[in-house]
Amino acid sequence: MANRARFLRTATARNLLILVLVWELVGRMDWIAGGALPGLSEILIRLWVDRGDYPSHIWATVHASILGFLIGNAVAVGAGVLFVLFPTLLRLTRGFNIAVFALPPIAIAPILVLTLSGMAPRITLAALGVYFVTMSATVVGLSQFDSRAADVVRAYGGKDWQVMRLVRLRGAVPDILSGLRIAAPNAVLGAILAEFGGGGRWGLGTYLLGSLGRGEPARLWGIGLVATLIAGLSYLVFAIISARTLGSTRSVTLNTAIPDAGGGTPGPLPVRLAIFAGAALLPFVLWWAFIRLSGVPDLIAKTPLGVVEYLFLSDTSHIARGKLLSALAETLPITAIGMIAGLGFAFLLAISARMFPGFIKTFMPVALVTQTMPLVALTPLLVLMLGRGTSVTLWITISVTFFPAFVLLVQGIQRVPQTVLDLPRAYGASAWKELRMVSIPAALPYLFAATRLTVPRALLGVMIAEWLATGTGLGNLLNQSRGYLDYGMIWTVAAVSVCLSVAFYYAILLIERRTLTRLGMQTVE
Amino acid sequence: MHHDHGIHLRAVCKTFRGRGADVEALRDMNLDCAPGSFTALIGPSGCGKSTAMRIALGLEDYDSGDVRIAGQPPAAATAAGVTGVAFQDAALLPWRTVARNIALPLEVLGRDPAKYGHEIAKLIELVGLKGYENSLPGQLSGGMRQRVSIARSLITGPEVLFMDEPFGALDQIRRRQMNVELQRIWLESESTALLVTHGIDEAVFLADYVVVMHANPGRVIDIIEIPFERPRRNELYSAPEFHALCDKVAMVLHGE
Repeated sequence: MANRARFLRTATARNLLILVLVWELVGRMDWIAGGALPGLSEILIRLWVDRGDYPSHIWATVHASILGFLIGNAVAVGAGVLFVLFPTLLRLTRGFNIAVFALPPIAIAPILVLTLSGMAPRITLAALGVYFVTMSATVVGLSQFDSRAADVVRAYGGKDWQVMRLVRLRGAVPDILSGLRIAAPNAVLGAILAEFGGGGRWGLGTYLLGSLGRGEPARLWGIGLVATLIAGLSYLVFAIISARTLGSTRSVTLNTAIPDAGGGTPGPLPVRLAIFAGAALLPFVLWWAFIRLSGVPDLIAKTPLGVVEYLFLSDTSHIARGKLLSALAETLPITAIGMIAGLGFAFLLAISARMFPGFIKTFMPVALVTQTMPLVALTPLLVLMLGRGTSVTLWITISVTFFPAFVLLVQGIQRVPQTVLDLPRAYGASAWKELRMVSIPAALPYLFAATRLTVPRALLGVMIAEWLATGTGLGNLLNQSRGYLDYGMIWTVAAVSVCLSVAFYYAILLIERRTLTRLGMQTVE
Repeated sequence: MHHDHGIHLRAVCKTFRGRGADVEALRDMNLDCAPGSFTALIGPSGCGKSTAMRIALGLEDYDSGDVRIAGQPPAAATAAGVTGVAFQDAALLPWRTVARNIALPLEVLGRDPAKYGHEIAKLIELVGLKGYENSLPGQLSGGMRQRVSIARSLITGPEVLFMDEPFGALDQIRRRQMNVELQRIWLESESTALLVTHGIDEAVFLADYVVVMHANPGRVIDIIEIPFERPRRNELYSAPEFHALCDKVAMVLHGE
């Protein structure tokens, strides 16, 4: 076993070395797009030359990320505890929660810059980036407590709050920590995206934007690497902390008791309808309240009604609608094609990887690293290499959907017990038959989950590419409207892209539930 | 009613109302455990024996009848700290040391664990875990974890001790060792004990009375007295009269 681990480590190190050497060679020879991919040494030299610029930029981004991370997580954990104690509250805020999860940060970056000032937009976007992940991790952690330990507390007359204090809170720590691990790079991404939205002299995002027009590939790569490093480090810190605490927290034996479904009584139909309506309306009410409380004039800050008026009731409505529809016609097809391609590749690769386990072992670490890579840092590099055409949008969409989907699918397929795999083989089934009978059906729930979870990422990727490079679609419309001070359009694009993202999420969830129920499977969170 | 530290269930009925099908878990259940006695509740899965125990602990409501634990209703008895409980699984909190796991009931009852340092040390010694005070459950074997949960059930100095298959997860060999130890610990504690079990030989070895239950609906079929001298030793397992009683319990269990 130890030998095997060492072999793997040397193999990974060897692959990494080969990668770096090939990179260096390709970069030095200017083989890709006339020097768009510089050699690693060139990037490092450039980093050294620019060393005076970095500290202020890094500090600005890290500062906002940390503040947003702290605030977002404090709210998220508090909300998680409340949701577990009062399940109705969770149902009532479902619309809001899904909206926060699905919103493409870049779409609301401009409106945050309009309504808030100073560091606040960056902090808010970083906080929004971490909220959903940590909140759902908290809810899951608090819900999956050891019911036997809770019975012990109750058997001594313990009340619900004592069970919460003695059993559930501490038991949720590993889940919350793994939530924080995923949330940390999100905070960095959020802070950088808010810098794109405008305002502020310092920050890696500002630096990146400023360097984009200059055609200095080595510097862009340097900024990308630094941003990736910061996000990766933040991931690593929480990965280490959670690995440390995990050992002493896992239940020693397997609990065979089925936990309560938590607020499983939905109540009579009118109550359910009221909760559903409340959940659907709450995001809009919060939007309205946010504008009223921030005290920004109506001209700049549009309420939900303001957006409706802008789109349908004012004199220029038909022009606005026309712009919006043509932007959507550019953005949506490319998002759909990119997602289908990315998910398709991931699915094919994941199920065929069953036959080549060695491939997974070397490829998985790469796939995991790309998960922490800030998308914004990646985009300019792809623009450099692929130009400003449609292909860059497509590649970005494929890459943002491919990696998370691949990781999720491989982890899902690995959960199939060995005995289930052995059974068809014991009857002499071919590898293909085994794939068809076991691996593909087993991967299906994870394919759905991956689709659902990557929709917002795909939309975000396309919009970033459009904003920075291609000059088409929703992303460009948002960027242009900023320039024209077309406030109505900024709010409209933000609202429409969030609503679209939520609508897609629910559409997939619906198909997923139907299909999986028919197949007798459960959905994956 | 009774002002002793026994367990008394009078005509207790309990029906679980699920989707579509109702399950009659207990019908007119009567159970009397005299103070200081050891009673084993045995029966097939679904006969309501665990439900009866959960009702006696106040973990489950009942539809009708009367339950007295040490002369009080279940909720009052557990909140007063006169009961102790060990479940099928040790159900230890994985992040607490052995000593702090044993102290858990004290915290729930609002007593100060710091005042019980001596009792905790004594119980750890009683269950043979001296030296493991600061170990985490993950570092212990299954049998040791089960002994921690026995120690935990005794920390409040209970007058009434409930055990739901405390050794269900152990193998036969380890189980017999633990039964001998449990008997020794119980004899020292002088409490009233109710043991829920699947194991015929375990019930006969430990109990003064074996109460046999049947399912659909859950009810008591027979009560068999076990007259062996205490302390009972390992040799009893091979005695012919032990096997005769085991056969008798098995016959009642299978409805012959």
